[in-house]
Amino acid sequence: MKKALLSLAVLLAFAGGAFAADTVKIGLMAPLTGKWANEGQEMKQVVDLLAERLNKAGGVLGKKVEVITEDDAGDPRQGALAAQRLSTQGVVGVVGTYGSSTSEATQNIYEENGIIQIVNASTAVRLSEKGLKFFFRSCPRDDEQGIVAAKTLLGKKYKKIALLHDNTSYAKGLGEEVKHELEKAGVKPVFFDALTPGEQDYSTILTKIKKANPDVVFFSGYYPEAGLMLRQKKEMGWNVPFVGGDATNNPDLIKSAGKDAADGYLLTSPPMPGDLPSAEAKAFMKAFKAKHGRIPGSIWSVLAGDGFMVLCEAVKGAGAADSKKMADYMKTKMKNFPGLTGKLSFDAKGDRKGDVYRVYKVDAKGDFVLVK
Amino acid sequence: MEFFFQQLTNGLAVGGIYALIALGYTMVYGVLKLINFAHGDLFTMGAYLGLTVLASLGLHQHLGAFGGVVVLALMIMGLVGVVGILLDRAAYKPLRESPRLSAVVSALGASIFFQNALMLVYGARYQYYPKDILPKTVINILGMPVPLMRILILAVSILMMAGLQFFIQKTKTGTAIRAAAIDQAAARLMGINVDRVIMLVFFIGPALGGAAGLMVGLYYGQINFTMGWVYGLKAFTAAIMGGIGNIPGAMLGGILLGLIEAFGAAYISLAWKDAIAFLVLIVILIVRPTGLLGERVASKV
Repeated sequence: MKKALLSLAVLLAFAGGAFAADTVKIGLMAPLTGKWANEGQEMKQVVDLLAERLNKAGGVLGKKVEVITEDDAGDPRQGALAAQRLSTQGVVGVVGTYGSSTSEATQNIYEENGIIQIVNASTAVRLSEKGLKFFFRSCPRDDEQGIVAAKTLLGKKYKKIALLHDNTSYAKGLGEEVKHELEKAGVKPVFFDALTPGEQDYSTILTKIKKANPDVVFFSGYYPEAGLMLRQKKEMGWNVPFVGGDATNNPDLIKSAGKDAADGYLLTSPPMPGDLPSAEAKAFMKAFKAKHGRIPGSIWSVLAGDGFMVLCEAVKGAGAADSKKMADYMKTKMKNFPGLTGKLSFDAKGDRKGDVYRVYKVDAKGDFVLVK
Repeated sequence: MEFFFQQLTNGLAVGGIYALIALGYTMVYGVLKLINFAHGDLFTMGAYLGLTVLASLGLHQHLGAFGGVVVLALMIMGLVGVVGILLDRAAYKPLRESPRLSAVVSALGASIFFQNALMLVYGARYQYYPKDILPKTVINILGMPVPLMRILILAVSILMMAGLQFFIQKTKTGTAIRAAAIDQAAARLMGINVDRVIMLVFFIGPALGGAAGLMVGLYYGQINFTMGWVYGLKAFTAAIMGGIGNIPGAMLGGILLGLIEAFGAAYISLAWKDAIAFLVLIVILIVRPTGLLGERVASKV
């Protein structure tokens, strides 16, 4: 009986292999569990819906596209395991992941296996400075955001600027970038330090920053901490303006801080899903809403969708699901591919070309409004 | 000087919460010599259940802010206490005669179970308490603005700890708990129902943890299913700092850890805050391996 089962299993495995050749396999590595689970689950919803639509329209080169999802839990160790699992499943490219630390732990695994990785939210600069052949991003990098953020701070004539990050690769990278840009303009930050993410009480930190008496505080970390700080600073009766980076671009920021405390908060961010102007984006948002009852809450999950579409387009452009040809195609021939978040082209490092960042402001009603 | 006092109040509020959670670790350890690693998740459960009860019953609308919160707190403490007893029945009781390591592994498993159960039931997103329940009063102490709720958090924590201390030291049941902590076999021979004592310990500890979770939810307003990990780790550290198994030790350790964190961040470095706290723990353990108050074996629970 055991033998019979075994041979059946072997047979099935072969059959599975034979079927697999008829599909183009694209991996999705996302934090489906863990602290960024809501981002990860939305990434999957976006990519799954795009794949469904693409397959209904005939797939790529006459083949269906199959999305294989692995959970990285927003954790570098889990990410490395997820990358290894994906590498053994015949994927030609992988979309994701969210956090820069996790992407960094997986970069070399994909590179060695000749698999294209296109990250959707890992904006740390150094990821694309390693000369990797198969690394791309559909999101911009921190230095671009740093320039926009520093311009915003200097444009408001702030003299004493406090910078706060949270020691993650992403927030630290952005914090240092802003510091660098400010110092280039001759403004030396009066405060530069990191908080510990995942806590609830930031009054110690706020009290300490208050002592440096800044005109403005720039926080490069994530929305849960930003929301708590906005609320606790209001409670302290301290009216310093807060400016944040794109990781605070989440409607939950308002729920956490409360409308009164979030009023006037500025942040630099790529445009929100609902503000995307292109016809492709509008059609997709409609389909997403029909399926899930709401449009995506996070631009990063939409950027994962762009990563997926770019990979499919590259298969088409290269004429085969061959990662080497695809990477060449993406770097040299892909020009202004119409994605959901705008036109996509890549430079020699695999970074997305063009200016993506905007400045948003939270108004009294708790809405994120595009500034200019 | 104002800076110092401001940081003092910051540290005390956080320390009160740590102390309340640390009690759960220390009570279970006192009686069973078991580190209940799922305790941090019972704290999280208190926060989530509090939100559910609040949203579904709207207690504060019927009973006013004060009455509503008190009734809510009692309900949550009861509920989380019962979960604590069930946890013991399911995860620890079958392993009572096994080597201690098995129970620790079971505790870690229970922690993962609770975390993921909360994620599946409530979703992975952060959850938010309504913002209008607690008064936002700020009072002046020596010309320094201190939010009233911060003082209340500390006061409630101290009140609960004092109540527990009275219960353990002055009542018959408390004496039974102390007896079981010193020697279970001898306690049994003296006619003490040790199984009942263990059940009680698994009710009180989680109930206090649940109350801490509710306070965090009500005051900070933002909860998520992984938050028990950080609080649990800190409270565990506090319990060890004060001498694990020792109730006054857990209180002292909690408050002390809150203060070390606040002053470490204020005067040394923000980014090194946790490192400083753990460094102090190491120094304390080198100087006094049983923790600050660990040697008073007689008052062990």
